[in-house]
Amino acid sequence: MYWKKVLRRVVYGIMMYIVMVLIYSTLFNSVADRTMRSQIDEQVAQEVTRYRNLSEAQLTTLIAERKAGKIRQYHLDESLVSRIFWRSVRTLGFDFGNSTTIKASTGSRSVIAIIGEALPRTIVLFTTEVVLVTGLGIAMGLYAARRPNGLFDRSNSMVTMITNGLPSWWLAMLAIMVFAYAIPIFPSGGLHVNPAPTGLAGLVDYLWHLALPLLTLVLLGIWGTAYLVRNIVLSNLQEDFVMAARARGISERKVLFGHTLRTSMPAIMTLAVLGLFSSIAGNIIVEGIFGWPGIGNLYFVAVQQNDVPILMATLSIETLFTMVGFVILDLIYGFLDPRIKLGGRS
Amino acid sequence: MNLKDTTESLRDSWREFAKVKSGLFGLAILGAFLLLGIFGVYLVPFPGATEHWRDINFWQDNPQAAPPAWTNLFAARKGVSSTVLANPKAGTENQDNGVAVRTFSFDYDFGADEPPRDIIVRLTGDGPVPVIITVDRPDSLSAEIYRAQLDLSPLSPARVSLVRNSAQAIVEFVRSQDPELATNMSADLIKPFGILFSKLGKEVATAPTALKGKYRIVVTALQLSSDFKVNTPSLIVSGHVSGILGTDSSKRDIFTGIVIGIRWALIIGILTSVVSVIAGVLLGIIAAYFGGAVDWMLTRLYELIYLLPVLPFLIVVSAIFKPSIWTFITLVCLFFWTGSYKTVYSMALQIKEETFVEASKALGSGSWRIVFRHISPILLPYSFASMALSIPAIIVYEASVSLLGLGDASIVSWGQILESALSQGAVINNLWWWVIPPGLMIALMGMSFAFLGTALDKILHPKLKTR
Repeated sequence: MYWKKVLRRVVYGIMMYIVMVLIYSTLFNSVADRTMRSQIDEQVAQEVTRYRNLSEAQLTTLIAERKAGKIRQYHLDESLVSRIFWRSVRTLGFDFGNSTTIKASTGSRSVIAIIGEALPRTIVLFTTEVVLVTGLGIAMGLYAARRPNGLFDRSNSMVTMITNGLPSWWLAMLAIMVFAYAIPIFPSGGLHVNPAPTGLAGLVDYLWHLALPLLTLVLLGIWGTAYLVRNIVLSNLQEDFVMAARARGISERKVLFGHTLRTSMPAIMTLAVLGLFSSIAGNIIVEGIFGWPGIGNLYFVAVQQNDVPILMATLSIETLFTMVGFVILDLIYGFLDPRIKLGGRS
Repeated sequence: MNLKDTTESLRDSWREFAKVKSGLFGLAILGAFLLLGIFGVYLVPFPGATEHWRDINFWQDNPQAAPPAWTNLFAARKGVSSTVLANPKAGTENQDNGVAVRTFSFDYDFGADEPPRDIIVRLTGDGPVPVIITVDRPDSLSAEIYRAQLDLSPLSPARVSLVRNSAQAIVEFVRSQDPELATNMSADLIKPFGILFSKLGKEVATAPTALKGKYRIVVTALQLSSDFKVNTPSLIVSGHVSGILGTDSSKRDIFTGIVIGIRWALIIGILTSVVSVIAGVLLGIIAAYFGGAVDWMLTRLYELIYLLPVLPFLIVVSAIFKPSIWTFITLVCLFFWTGSYKTVYSMALQIKEETFVEASKALGSGSWRIVFRHISPILLPYSFASMALSIPAIIVYEASVSLLGLGDASIVSWGQILESALSQGAVINNLWWWVIPPGLMIALMGMSFAFLGTALDKILHPKLKTR
């Protein structure tokens, strides 16, 4: 039964996610507790300013009572295991609380609001990149696989080797040095000029700022993808059914696109889907260098300022997305390749 | 297997390997890297740099943010190349009153369009010693530019920056040659070396023309009694261009940094990949061979680690603990064993069912003997390829963590050189000699391992070679 297997896979995914959140919660336990306590102190101090007509003694007991209540509410007075457990429960319910220092552009300290601001920017840059890289990479890989050891294939493999160990952020530094300072045709970073233009001019300005980071990432990324696609397709081209198809006189074009691409689809989809879902994590360093205030940038600022609520939230959201990617992959494998059975060994 | 068989099989593998040109190319680069990694520390212009990379005093005689020396070839106005003048002509003249006059004359061939930024004298010795420094110019004029009594010590050298201490003397020198020229000169406003290294004329203070030729810088020191001593000084000409790859804004020689960085890149890359790949291979075999609960546990662990985002996790842990290279290597190993685990696992599942394993079991071999003696040797060649292929990523991770300022401060790595370049504005100020070389080295080392790994992969999995 397909839906039963789907259900089993989804439940399994959720369980893995819960374990991951528990790990994060343990990792950040001591700092997160301290943050929580100081946030409670702050909150209570703000609340009691309303009670002006109370005496000094009454005020002290009130503050103590309020604090004790809050501490009980967040389970901070309980054992280590229970504190980790309750923080995980809050994280799983997307209750990330307030950040320690980082603020959204509206001034809000709600973690959801801060991430909600950064996430779309990362998606615009990195998800676009993944889409472009995968599309172009598949086309180039197929082209290379048509003539293995041909000129295009060999030069593609060569460039892949060269770009293999090349840090994308280093290329970003060079790109800025050349195209923003030596030949100033692109801005050196940021989202828009100040003040931000509106309407069509705003869109053009946005695209202009997007161009250099996007070009850098795409130009570096396509080679590896193309090489992988080429390897996947080539290994399928050696299967017996391809030889049989060729023996039947089917055109090379049809063999490549019809037979081989179809059987290569699960592996290629793995590339595409995992790339797409993990792209929301952005790239910590590249975002920093281009001054692109997305998730990666937010994460690094949070590390520097020890903003644990933000760290906890970004890590768990990233993991959630990756997890969803894995589950979706397992589910579509069945459609792409009927030979693959979902999960079970039956 | 005896020795003869082993050499024979090694020779066979080498013959296979030698067919793949790119693999040989990668091996050649890697060989060069290994040699430089071992001996480079002794060949660099600043041999003590490994211990003193962050020591400001060690680098104080270098010019700041100077481009490489070879850029002079393309420059319209040539700058001075930073050099150290040692081995002066020494002479001693003993006077009747017990004073010994020691002279050290340095020849300096000046052929640039700009005067040196500074000339630094380093003197060691013992006791109070009066020192006079004169410069004999190619136009046979002679200028006394420094006169002072220095308290010398045998170990820490006295350091005299001539450009800072010679302005007044140089004004006096101009006055002695041409009083009219010196009328409007003030020691606070002139560029002392702009005058000392230029033709004397009307425009010497405003638009000087360089006087090229042989200069002789004479350091005269008086040993007032036999208790006092002066050792041979050295002279450092601080210029506009410096060394093979220039200097950074902390005056460090970048070429030296690049060469001593090779060692750590190799250690980090090779150690991490060997440990993590061997761990992955063994765990994969163990999971496949024993099956059951062991298999379940290891596979769950594999899935968990596969889900963890590597760089964010490395950053957080580096920020929590004191950044140390050994912490980094341990953490990366924890992540990277997953790379070979799944493939080995599926291969080991097949090998487990082979008849020789069956036979070994029938002969009474224990499980561990089968794992280590029978299954591991078959899967080991596979692991060589994945070791080489995983190294580029490891080196990039180290560089990334360093770039964020979370690197180990007791070592010199390319990532740390790039970190200081980024934080001190090398990108904005177009100090390309500081940004390009470290990244290029990271790419080159990654490339050599990628070539090597792909060549090994081609030999072990010939399927991908052609169709």
